[in-house]
Amino acid sequence: MRQRDPLSPEEARELDALERALAGDPVDSDLCELEQLVVDVRATAPEMNPGFAARLEHEVAEGFPQSQEHPVPRRRSRRRVLIPAGGVLAAALVALVVVLGGRGGDDSTASTALNGPPSVVDGAGAAATSLDSAPAAPARSDPEAALPPSVPAAKEKSAAGSVAADQAARAPQRSSAGASSSSSSPGSLATQSSGPRKQERSALLVLRVPNAKVDATSDGVIRTVDRFGGIIASSSSATQGGHGEATFELRIPTGKLDDALGALSRLGHVTERQQNLVDITGSFTSAQDRLSDARAERRGLLKALGRASTQRQIDSLKARLRNVRSQIARLNGDLEALRRRADLSSVSLTVRGAGKQEPGAGSGSGGGWSPGDAAHDAVRVLEVIAGVALIALAIIAPLALLAGLVALAVRATRRRRREGALDPA
Amino acid sequence: MTEPLNTTTASFDALYRDCARDLYAYVRTLLGDEASAEDVTALAFERAYRRRCTFDVKRGTRRAWLFGIARNAALDELRRRSRSAPLIGELPDELAPAPDEEADAAVRRTTVRAALATLPARDRELIALKFHGGLSNAELAVLLGTSETNAGTRVHRAVMKLRKACHAPA
Repeated sequence: MRQRDPLSPEEARELDALERALAGDPVDSDLCELEQLVVDVRATAPEMNPGFAARLEHEVAEGFPQSQEHPVPRRRSRRRVLIPAGGVLAAALVALVVVLGGRGGDDSTASTALNGPPSVVDGAGAAATSLDSAPAAPARSDPEAALPPSVPAAKEKSAAGSVAADQAARAPQRSSAGASSSSSSPGSLATQSSGPRKQERSALLVLRVPNAKVDATSDGVIRTVDRFGGIIASSSSATQGGHGEATFELRIPTGKLDDALGALSRLGHVTERQQNLVDITGSFTSAQDRLSDARAERRGLLKALGRASTQRQIDSLKARLRNVRSQIARLNGDLEALRRRADLSSVSLTVRGAGKQEPGAGSGSGGGWSPGDAAHDAVRVLEVIAGVALIALAIIAPLALLAGLVALAVRATRRRRREGALDPA
Repeated sequence: MTEPLNTTTASFDALYRDCARDLYAYVRTLLGDEASAEDVTALAFERAYRRRCTFDVKRGTRRAWLFGIARNAALDELRRRSRSAPLIGELPDELAPAPDEEADAAVRRTTVRAALATLPARDRELIALKFHGGLSNAELAVLLGTSETNAGTRVHRAVMKLRKACHAPA
């Protein structure tokens, strides 16, 4: 849009006179030349050929039955195809963003949502590729509640109302079993290193039960842990705002973890469940190799001690033997700790009381679906819908703006090209 | 002129009767030859008829809308012609004054025709839109995609050029 200098008063007066002359009104006498010009120019107006005028009038009356160009309905039909296609494209984009957004939420914490396969964290450069899937149970995922790789051994939130005794007595049995295994020959170590992968598994489970059922559910947790041969590393219970809550740090034999989680999930309404997996095969193999080397060195030192002839040589070799023995003991401990991490999975379990008395919350199992649950789910659905709408808006708004700018640019370019025909070549 | 076009074909007939001669005069002045002017005029009316449902009274008058369609068609014709043959800038012979016209008027009109033919195409188009088409400055502004003031300025300058060309020695 080109801007010109504004008209001077004289020019404005002439333009006004021109308008009056065009309208057939009288103009000032000094501008009668303009009036004459209007008459002369109008008199030069080309007239339509009568034959053409009649033909055109007929076409107008008939509604242009013989079209000179593509009829507009064809364009409309193309538009009918393009608009739904655009809608489908936009919907696909929104779905893609939602899916990617959902995946992006649990990347840093290496946690997985309920029912999904546990995420694999490669602790030593090699990742496991398969794992048994967890049993299904209704719950929602919470990325913030990811379980750390190593759960603290004792986590007392409240000293009051301890609900379970420490069953760590089982641990020494396992330790001794592991020690006997680790003291085997180098040949057996080589066999172990080529065996199955060592994986450390952990899980987080949050159950919601009626307030009155918190203690009963806690007892059910203890019984379940006993049934699967696990141990309770720590436990605590607390009451806050009239709602009871019990937390457990459990150690469950890894081979029975899925079954144990399934049994624990049936004790209440699962509101959150996550599983993590860390591959520690590399660390395990490395510790085994170092232990093997230390043992070989010890054998060599013992042979050299047998051949020693002077007191100085004997003293030196004994000192080195002491070092190697302590090194072997430390490596044995490391190996045993790794084996225990692989054999026993950490489970953080929270039993949370909900509502004053929820009669419909089920009996011993506490897994009913109450109106409160329905309200919670409804709110959750609304949250998800609002989120999707927000994402869609975030995508569509810039696209619409961009499309508008492109349309304006195309329109301006087309106009400039057309009007270029008026310029001399 | 503000009633929508998408109601009946009767309103389109009224538009045709109101604008047909002016539209043809504009197109003919812009293109120069009769055959192209007839083709473009017919095409413009047909397009207007097909798109009569898209007319928006908020974006201008029906007359300006129709002239906009005709202008696009005429400019497309000029572009097509410029790719194949030189632009015809002369007015046709049949526009010569009738023998029974007064001598003075005949001379003046011949002078005006000749002066119009010497004007640049942009100015000739403005003269045709204003004098033959009878468009107001507001309608011209919509058509040209500019402000009303700017449209008036351009019309004034084109008229001044025409006056100057009329007074120029042959």
